[in-house]
This record gives sequence, structure tokens and C-alpha cells, in this order.
Amino acid sequence: MGSSVQKAIELILSADPELLNILSVTARVCLTSSVFALLIGVPLGILLGAERFPGRKVLLVLNRTLTGMPPVVCGLLFYMLFSGVGPFRHLHLLFTVKLMIIAQVVLITPIVIGLMETFVADTSPVLRETARGLGFSRAKEYGLLMNECLYSVFSAYLLAFARAIAEVGAVSMVGGAIAWKTNVMTTAIMMYTNRGSFTLGIALGLILLTLSLLVNIILSVMQGRLSR
Amino acid sequence: MKTMAMTKTYNRRIVLDLPELELPEGQITAVIGANGSGKSTFAKILGGIDRPDAPHPVLPEISAGYLPQKSFPFRMSVEKNILSNGHDRSRAAELMTALGLGNLAAQSAKKLSGGETARMALARLLMKQYELLILDEPTAAMDMESTLLSENLISHYCQETGCAVLLITHSIQQARRLARQVLFLQQGKLIEQGDTDTVLSKPARAETKQFLEFYGI
Amino acid sequence: MKKIVSLILALVMVFALAACGQSAAPKAAETPAPAADAAPAEEAAPAEETAPAEEADAMVVDTCILKEADDAMINNYSLLAVNPEAPFVDADGNAVEDVAVNTVGAAALINWLLSEEGQNLAANFGFEEYGEYLFYLKDERPISTAEIPAATEETKKIRLSTTTSVNDSGLLGFLLPIFEEKYGYDVEVYSAGTGKSIANAKMGNADLILVHSKKQEEAFIEEGFSCVIDGMDTERLNWMYNYFVLCGPSADPAGVKDAADVKAAFKAIADGKYTFISRGDGSGTHTKELSLWPEDLGITAEAESFKDYTEWYISANTGMGACLVMAEEMGAYILTDKATFLTFVANDGVMG
Repeated sequence: MGSSVQKAIELILSADPELLNILSVTARVCLTSSVFALLIGVPLGILLGAERFPGRKVLLVLNRTLTGMPPVVCGLLFYMLFSGVGPFRHLHLLFTVKLMIIAQVVLITPIVIGLMETFVADTSPVLRETARGLGFSRAKEYGLLMNECLYSVFSAYLLAFARAIAEVGAVSMVGGAIAWKTNVMTTAIMMYTNRGSFTLGIALGLILLTLSLLVNIILSVMQGRLSR
Repeated sequence: MKTMAMTKTYNRRIVLDLPELELPEGQITAVIGANGSGKSTFAKILGGIDRPDAPHPVLPEISAGYLPQKSFPFRMSVEKNILSNGHDRSRAAELMTALGLGNLAAQSAKKLSGGETARMALARLLMKQYELLILDEPTAAMDMESTLLSENLISHYCQETGCAVLLITHSIQQARRLARQVLFLQQGKLIEQGDTDTVLSKPARAETKQFLEFYGI
Repeated sequence: MKKIVSLILALVMVFALAACGQSAAPKAAETPAPAADAAPAEEAAPAEETAPAEEADAMVVDTCILKEADDAMINNYSLLAVNPEAPFVDADGNAVEDVAVNTVGAAALINWLLSEEGQNLAANFGFEEYGEYLFYLKDERPISTAEIPAATEETKKIRLSTTTSVNDSGLLGFLLPIFEEKYGYDVEVYSAGTGKSIANAKMGNADLILVHSKKQEEAFIEEGFSCVIDGMDTERLNWMYNYFVLCGPSADPAGVKDAADVKAAFKAIADGKYTFISRGDGSGTHTKELSLWPEDLGITAEAESFKDYTEWYISANTGMGACLVMAEEMGAYILTDKATFLTFVANDGVMG
């Protein structure tokens, strides 16, 4: 382990171009997919949490199922769909960053929806009682609900991001771990490990863990600020 | 002002069954009764939170303000919470002073104690002019001093705006201090209704008498 | 915006942490005893008695080549262009006709690899670094003198599906940038075991394949997935080879060094039940290994076939490098391509 730490440090300090490329592809995939997951997941989660309509329970069960979907299954599905012989072959998306992002969005949006739904289902009834009692319009009620959700949105984002950055099954299937193009941190770790370069794998792993630690530090710092 | 007769059933059990009621304008009507007597359900239906069994409206087309038992503090400062129900800053300042919230104006509403939250919620409600005010135990979480400040404010509001006030309370003393008329509910039914002094001092019904004796009157 | 800022902050902190960590690193070296305790796995190698206090860098690779240059161990590398008219089928077995295959790009890359320039570069690859040639040119190899067209917008992207052993040897990383620079193509290398990389091409996700398993290549051609490019007379363009080598612990308890040929060596391992690491992943190396065992053992790619040999036959199902590390640590025998093994030794048993 000691030599791996040293190697990790050397690797980072040397600003190895391949490492930088891996980091930048990782950042692109994870940032974009988590932002899209947020844009889709937050409104849906709020809607599912705040409104009572027929079919809501079914949607919740469906969402929970999607939350538990193994990433490789998602990856395999997208590989088949976008493969050279698949139905969406004309889009030429297999082994591109775009498809990696789409697969990630499918994987992490349910998490965002679930988180928002849980929070809103708790908050919305009490808030609604007060807002209706004051005679507020529905729009104003939703505005206030959004305002309450700010911290939840933030933590949902960080969780989505953390899941995206840690995910390997789907991105390796649809991305193909092509060097300089679709290789992200997790697939690079897999690749190095298969080659027997455990040290490099651990070095990347350390960077990944450090990032995850920082995400959590930010989360707990912001928790104090935003819950006020 | 008249409310229509209403019933409310939960799980095939009738929890509320009330006749048509008269709520005089410019006066406070207190609703007393034990826990589970249907007071809060009554308030929720009038406040538009719950629906009665029959779909027709229970109130004429008026503006009603409803203060739930546990009000929700919005995630913003106390002052902004109060200003969320109207833009009149001087009115907000006046209400805060009247309720002893002056030094808490910039404080985050989420950090208030239970009693402070209740005072802020009352101030927030009273920012607007309503024709009917439904207050569900507005002072339950407050200490004696805040309770008296709040009662003062409520009766002033009632007199100045001439609105009808329905005050749900578990305090006989509070009903005596504020209300002109008292409704006594038991198991969802109106048992007795009348002038405060009459109902509380010389109740006509045995149930009312028993209730008042139990509460040490 | 806030989130982007915090991410940048996070990255900056990684670097800061790294800088702090480096100044702390020498301190760890001052306490040799716990460092030695921390690495019991490496000590398992018998030659390690002398200096356990040294850092792991000093690890000596015990695994060595025991059997090589046997005719049965030739490792032929072939290029096959994917046929755009191939009988592609989708997951349900329905024919798919309009599969996009960049034949022009594939032909360009093949013609360059088979040109004098490409062949010389491949033949000399690795000598400077390892003191040995890693790949040899076949005597009767196809040679191309065809003009190579510069890339156009449509033909720019070439999808090459290849095996991990080719990719891991560093050959493609050395050759392809030269080709890309010269003609403006962009070669995307998908690397997996031979089985998987061929399957990938059959799903219409590759323009050409570079693999080393004659049987599987012939099946690929038989099924009509390959085509003859202009100027060549066959689909399977076998131009390069090297040797598989049988490696094992220097002490060689099975005595494979003295075996008459490689089949006898494999028999000796099986008879003595000496630990053997199999790739077990359907790769070319795996296919070759399966052909070398005594037939009466009945070892095939199916897990069922070696369930009685699990005490010594280890099906690792992972890449060549990872298997070599495993063999080194367990003192096991292993079949590997020479290029990967030399890279492994050159890096003191740590790949990459």
C-alpha cells in the first residue's frame, strides 16, 4: 500500500496527460449526468411527494425497482440498443461519452426522485396546511415547498454525483473504456487491475476516495448552512 | 355569518356531525370539548384543509384564515415569514412588537422555540384581513405572558376588522376571557351552544356540566 | 455554479493533499519493521530471504520462462476487416442490413500496418526497452504497397477491436499515434479477450479486428463476418507472430524445463498437480492453453470440465497481467504471451 500511495502522489504531481484525460472524461460524465438527473428527478420527486393521484403508488414501486437496478444490466441494455445491430444503431452512440451520460442518467435519476419524494412527502402536508390556511395560491405553495427543498436538492445532487463517479458496470459496457475517449476512473482501475498494475489501480482508487471524502465534507458543511 | 350543516366520516365512523351554525361578525366564538371531540376536524373543514362528506361548500364565499395547531415555519427569517402574507412592513413591525418578536426579526424561523414559532405564526396570519378567522389552539405552546399578548391581539383584530373568529381552545379560562359565544362539542356532536357566561356558569346539559367539573370549574 | 466551484475546490484539495502526503512518505521508510509485516504476500516468494526491510520496489520476479520457441506455442496475430455485408443479426436473431462499417478506414489501417513502414516499426518494437524483440514478422506475410488515402469526415473514425494482450504490450500505443498523425484518422481501440472482442465486432461495433486465435478467426470468416480488402487475397491477414511461453517458479518443481516438448511439460504439471493459473476468459491465450493439456483430462472452457482439478487448476477469469501477478505470488505455472511477460519482468512484477 505504501508504494501505491507514493505512486498515486507521483502520478498526480507529474500531471500525466492520460490521467488528466481520465479525470476530465470522468468529470464530464459525472457532472453532466448528475445535473440532468437533477433536472429530471427533482420535479418528478416533488410531484410524487406532494400530490396524491391514482397510480402514484405504482410509480413509487417502479422507481424503487429502478433504484435497485444493477448497473451492468443497465449497461447491457444500452449496449444492445445502441450496438451496430441494435435498433438505435443509426445514432452512432455506442462507445461515446454521450451514451455513458445517458446510461448514468437512467441509473441515478431514480435515486434523486426517491430522495426528493421521501423529503417532500414528509414536509408537504404540514406546509400545505399552513399555506392553505393563509390563503396562498398553489403556485406560491409550490414556491415555498421548493425553498424548503433546497438542502435536499443539494444532498440529492451530491449523492447522485457520488454514485455516478463510483459506478463502473454501465460505463464500461457502453463506453468500452477506450483510451483517450471513454476511459473514466473506475474503468481505468479495472483495466489497470486486469493488466496486473495494481499500484496504478490503487493510485486511481485513492484519488477517487479522496474525491468522495471531499464531496462528503462539502455535504456536511452545506447541511449546516442550508437547513437554516 | 352562517356555516352549513356538515358531517365527516373516517373509516365508516362519523367523527363530526354538526348543524347549521351562526358565527357572529366582530365577535369571538370559542369551541370547547375534550380531545377527540371533533374540534380540530371542524376547524380543518372550515379552513379548507379537510373536506366534509357532502361536497358542497360549508362557508359562503368569504376569505378565511386558518391557523393550524402546528404551524409550519418557512425556511427564511422571522420577518420574511411574516411578510410572506403581505407586504406592509409597518404592519409586520407592529405585530412583531405586539407579540414580543421584535428582537427575533432577523432570526431564522427554523431555529425558534415552540412558543416563538406559535407567536410568529399568529403574526403571519394577522398580516391579512380575513372575514373569518379559524384559530386552532393558537396559544397551546405559549407561556402565560405570550398567551395574554396573543389574546389581546386577537380580540383587537376582531374588533377592528369586524371579522368573525372561531377559536378552538382547551382552556376554559381563555374562552371566558375572549369569547362572547361558546360551542361545546362531544364525540363530534354539538351538545350545547350559547352565551359564554351561561354555558360556562349554568350549563343546561349534564354532559357540559360533567366536562366543566372535570376541568375544575 | 456553486457546485462547479466546489468540485474545482475538491480537485485542488486532492493536489494539496498529495503534496502533504509526499513530505510524509520518507518517514514511513524509516520504520522498516512494520513495513515488512505489511507485505507478507511478497515474502512468500522463496528468493526473498535476504533483504525484507527494503521497500517493495526491490521485489525480484521469481517467475521465469521455462519453455519457449516450441512450434506448438507460436502465437499468430492476424488482421481481419469486418465485412459490411456480413449477416449481422440483432439480439432476437433478426437480420440487420444497414450496419455502419468503415471499410475505407479499416483498409487504410490494414494497408499501413502491412506497409514497409508499419512492419518495420512493429518488428523493432520493444527492443530498446526490453532488449528483446516482442513481435516477429512471418516469412510469408502479406505486404501492402497500396496508396493510403487521407482521412475524410466519414472515414475518420476507425473502430479497432483487439485483445488485451496486444493492447497491454504497448504495441498499439506505439504504432497508432504515428498512423493517426500521418493520415488524420482517429483509431478507437476496444480491448477485451479474443472471444469478447470478436463478439463485439459481430454486433457491428468494430471496423476491423486484431486477434490471435486461428480457430475463432476461421469461424468468423466462415460465418461471413470478414471480407477481403482490395489488393489482398485472403480475409485473414496473418503477418506477425510471437511465442507463447510457459512460465513458472525458478525452482521448477514439475521439471518442465526438461520435458521433451510443451505437451509433455503440461502433462508433467497435471500429473504432479502443480498449481496452474488459467486465464479462463475465452481469450486467445486461454484457447491456446486448452489445446495443450493431455486430452484425457478433458479440460475445456466449460467450468464443468475442470471441476475435479480445482485444487491445482485455477481459472482466474481476468487479464494477462493480473494472472501473472497471481502466478508470481502463488509460485504457479502459467501460459502467457512473451510480450506481456517481458513487460511484467521489466517492471519488477508490477505491470504498467
